[in-house]
Amino acid sequence: MRRLGFIVNPIAGMGGRVGLKGTDGVVDEARAAGADPVAPTRARAFAETILALSRGDPSLSIRWLTAAGPMGMEPLGAAGVDEERCEIINRPPEPTTAEDTRRAVEACIDRGAELVLFCGGDGTARDVAESARDRAPILGIPAGVKMYSAVFAVSPQAAAELTLAYLRGRLRIGSAEILDLDEDAYRRGEWRIALVGTAKTLVEPTLVQAGKLQVAEVTEESTREELADHFRELFAAEPDTLFFLGPGSTIASIATVLGLEKTLLGIDAVLGGRTVAKDVDERSLLRLLDQHPKAKLVVSPIGAQGFLLGRGNPEASPDVLRRIGTRNVIAVATPAKLAMTPVLRVDTGDAALDEEFRRREYLFVLIGYRTSKLHPIQR
Amino acid sequence: MANRDPTSWMRAEYESLVAQSLDWKLRVLQGPSAPRSIVDGKTVIMLCSNNYLNLSNHPKVKRAAREAIKTHGAGSGSVRPIAGNMDLHEELERRIARFKRREAALFYMSGFAGNAGLISQLAGDGDAILTDELNHGSIIDGVRLTKAQRIIYRHRDVGDLERALKEADVSAKKILVVSDGVFSMDGDIAPVGEIAKLSESFGAMVYIDDAHGEGVLGDGGRGVASHFHVEEKIQVELGTFSKALGVVGGYVAGSNDLRNYALNKSRTWLLSGSHPPAVTAACTAAIDVLETEPRHVKKLWSNTKYFKKRLVSLGFDIGRSETPITPVMLGDSATAKRFSDRLFEEGVFALPIVYPMVAKDKARIRNIVNAGLKRQDLDDALAAYEKIGKELSVIA
Ligand SMILES: Cc1ncc(COP(=O)(O)O)c(C=O)c1O
Repeated sequence: MRRLGFIVNPIAGMGGRVGLKGTDGVVDEARAAGADPVAPTRARAFAETILALSRGDPSLSIRWLTAAGPMGMEPLGAAGVDEERCEIINRPPEPTTAEDTRRAVEACIDRGAELVLFCGGDGTARDVAESARDRAPILGIPAGVKMYSAVFAVSPQAAAELTLAYLRGRLRIGSAEILDLDEDAYRRGEWRIALVGTAKTLVEPTLVQAGKLQVAEVTEESTREELADHFRELFAAEPDTLFFLGPGSTIASIATVLGLEKTLLGIDAVLGGRTVAKDVDERSLLRLLDQHPKAKLVVSPIGAQGFLLGRGNPEASPDVLRRIGTRNVIAVATPAKLAMTPVLRVDTGDAALDEEFRRREYLFVLIGYRTSKLHPIQR
Repeated sequence: MANRDPTSWMRAEYESLVAQSLDWKLRVLQGPSAPRSIVDGKTVIMLCSNNYLNLSNHPKVKRAAREAIKTHGAGSGSVRPIAGNMDLHEELERRIARFKRREAALFYMSGFAGNAGLISQLAGDGDAILTDELNHGSIIDGVRLTKAQRIIYRHRDVGDLERALKEADVSAKKILVVSDGVFSMDGDIAPVGEIAKLSESFGAMVYIDDAHGEGVLGDGGRGVASHFHVEEKIQVELGTFSKALGVVGGYVAGSNDLRNYALNKSRTWLLSGSHPPAVTAACTAAIDVLETEPRHVKKLWSNTKYFKKRLVSLGFDIGRSETPITPVMLGDSATAKRFSDRLFEEGVFALPIVYPMVAKDKARIRNIVNAGLKRQDLDDALAAYEKIGKELSVIA
């Protein structure tokens, strides 16, 4: 019997229909504007697909850890999931809140959920990630307005397929970024997506051809080791180049292998293999560039959309990028991540600078020790 | 650390492969690899050997092996650079060079040993290697042994190769472009003509692994470089005797400089015992047969055309194949496995290629047509395909 958490944010996705960028804090406004909830139908579609695809396979017997009412039991029941297979972990009063989501996640992990499925958007993903705290992987059934985080399946059906693939041992656990709209900035009229954290999620194993009829799996760890070897050599070969290490889980985990304590969400500066500044803002970046004109910026595509520059790392402002030089931007990704990123996006807020990248059409992405691949940039 | 267990990890790893159905289950060939072979006690039409021309059963090739044992014994006694360099090896290399219309050739233990041992010596720190994303594993291993910058370009994508060449041009000292000639999963051919011309304009060295093109493509089976008429623009051709030539062993063909460099630098060549007389002489005889009996290559192609045409008219999708490697696309893995099992029951031996070897929706059966197959063999195989195709609702 496999124990899975199942948590629905019943109001997710309502804002989108009425032109709001999210439902956070504006439910009444959305309701008044005539928005219908999206999440219940998505959650139900997910459960129906799971039932249809796992029928007749006793090794896939699932015990659902979920909340009573619209946060779980209702959509499961509507899909035809037997009540005996469900364990009610809490009974939140309606209307439900983000706090109920957090409590439900805590409760189902405490009761042994090995994977937490949630239905919602970026706001929900953030709540779920913050309460899961890497104790269990999470997987999003898409139902939100914003879905920049890299923990969402492309559809409820795909979420069901991924879940079953995971139960059959075909997927691995990797980490992914959680992005969300900066709500305060948004209320001031600014549209800014910020990297707010990371979470464990399900990833396809990366397979390399190891012979003509044989493939071998490369683990995320071994890729990271390889990338770390690459940077170790690079740092040693260019002792007087200042390396700015950008945000995100890929770069943070490479840094960890190198014994550097890297801030997850910010930019750190490394010289000669040593961290010389952490979580630098734009001003300090510019000051460091005054002292060390020779600099390179290491960035990784972030979130589900593959933003290389401009989302999640506002410190690397157009001024900073110009000073560093667009040729000195090193893009890095694990092969698994690159496979999930159809195009790289650049949105620095400076049209001329964006154009300088986009004109190149393709960018080298480092995917292993001294190994790179050209990857398209979105026009 | 006294409770360290030296071996239990092997079983754990193996069991995890079994759990994911990624382990190999070996079938046993009882007798020769032939158009009709006995596999696990059952006589089947062989559609998955690489013995394209059926030369492994050619009387001249077998006789040469027997004779060489009589005159030279069973083994060579040493590595080539010390005391294992026999006249048979030198003779074979002259024959390879003549056949490939090259200055020189060097015989390796296998194609794998050639790729791993030579590519690793052709580029180093400061150089760049540009490699097709679907290149054979032995190329990947050779590339991984170097300190060169490795750029992986999209499968058969000349535009991507050109972009990569332009990028490499900025900083690399030497540039090496490596590609399979024929890709063994889909049977598609690399755009070797364009690769050669493009590389020439950047002063890059071109290395083509023609394991599946030799004995199949080009003038008299001389391979993919001959097929595109670009022999002079390709500096290294790697070949193998383990496929169309019906024996075993690899070689590289090119200039005298290449041979001199390769034999002094390739560790897989320097540090591994040389081929036994029987193998070496059989390889020479196989080249002899290719040069003097053009009918085998012709038969391979007429069989291929017939088999493919009939499969298509039955309603099967044969993918992008341009060679005797003929995939039958079946979509999901379960169907491909089931199809292959049923084929075996019906007396046809063809392997399923399933996820994760190919994408999830690209599972297929890979057939390799053979010159030794009679029309009746092909018709029997096609009848099995038709029957099972209908049974599994793959065709109407
Ligand atoms: C493209 C390619 N290169 C190299 C090899 C290795 O050749 P050999 O069997 O001689 O080691 C093979 C065959 O397995 C191959 O398909």
